[in-house]
Parts: sequence; C-alpha cells; structure tokens
Amino acid sequence: MPKMNLSHFEAAFLFSLFASVVLGIVTKKTDRDRLYYGSYCFVCFLGALFGIGWVMRLGHG
Amino acid sequence: MATKETTPDKPKMPPINVWAGPVLVGWIVPGGGHFLLKRPGRGALLLVSITLMFLLGLMTRGMMFTPQSGDLLTTVINYGGFIGDLASGALYLVAMMFGYSQPDMAGAVHDYGTKFLVTAGLLNILAMVDAYEIAAERKS
Repeated sequence: MPKMNLSHFEAAFLFSLFASVVLGIVTKKTDRDRLYYGSYCFVCFLGALFGIGWVMRLGHG
Repeated sequence: MATKETTPDKPKMPPINVWAGPVLVGWIVPGGGHFLLKRPGRGALLLVSITLMFLLGLMTRGMMFTPQSGDLLTTVINYGGFIGDLASGALYLVAMMFGYSQPDMAGAVHDYGTKFLVTAGLLNILAMVDAYEIAAERKS
C-alpha cells in the first residue's frame, strides 16, 4: 500500500467531501433534497474548517 | 366526556427476511445493500465515498483499534473505535487478512488516517440504516 502525506487542509477537505456525500444520500428522500443537503453539509464543514482555523491562528497570536 | 388521545402509530418492524439481506450485504460491501435494492446510483456513490475514505486511512497509516480494556475512557475509545473499524466490512477484513498493522504514532497525518478509518465504518453504518429503511419501504 503506497504511503501518502496530506496537509491538514487536504485531509479535512477530503473528509468533508466524502462525509457530505454520504450524509446527503442517507438523510433525505428526494434527489433534489439530497443534493441540497450534501452541499449544505460540505459548506458547513468548510466554514468550520476556516472558522476554527482562524480562531486557532488568532488565539496563538 | 372522555376524549380519545390520538398518537401516531409506530411503524411496524418489517419481517427480518425483507431487510436482513440488504443490511448484511451493505455491511460487507459499502453501498451493496443499495445495489441489491436496485438503487445503483446511490450505491455507487456510497461505495466510492466510503472506500476512498478507508483507503486514504490506510495510505496515511492510520491505526486500527483493537478491543482493549482499562479505565472507562480507554475502554470506550478502544471498543468504540474497534466497532467503527469493523463496520467497514470487507475493507476491514481484507486489510487485516493482509496483515495491516500500524502502531499508534505521533503526527497529524497518522491521526487523520485513524479518523478516516473509523469514520468510513461509521458512514457505512449510516448506509446500512438507509438500506434497511428502503427495504422496509419507509423510503424510496
């Protein structure tokens, strides 16, 4: 199995993408709602990623 | 005059032969339950997402949890993590069959890998629940 090095951003981005796809599929009943909710989850993940990232950056000074 | 309370009826549990197959296949192969229930689009998306997440966990050398007792926190983390890993089905079984073993190492990449492995299993549990609901005709 090849080894892989990911940055924090790459790892969190991929995690968000895959988790959002699954959450979108399993939670809603129509394809339109699935697409909407999956996108919503992805945006929330990325918002948390950048938001918490900046909080840590500012907290460190 | 007494009024009769109207509470919504709980949906009845469907017979086991209706849902056991899709749920079991969904455990072994992520998205397999959806394929069995003729939802190939959703099954393919689940298969690709969960498998890629698991493979990323392996490639970043994430740790597989083993059942281990100790204090409460150690027990919860190790048993919970083991259940999460095991929920990936064939992916976990094949990785263990080929002797995948990675000690818990310091470092962000390994830590992400461990989370990827557990999360792949947890997402597969969600996919199995979805397959159950489709088999029980609670969902299309």
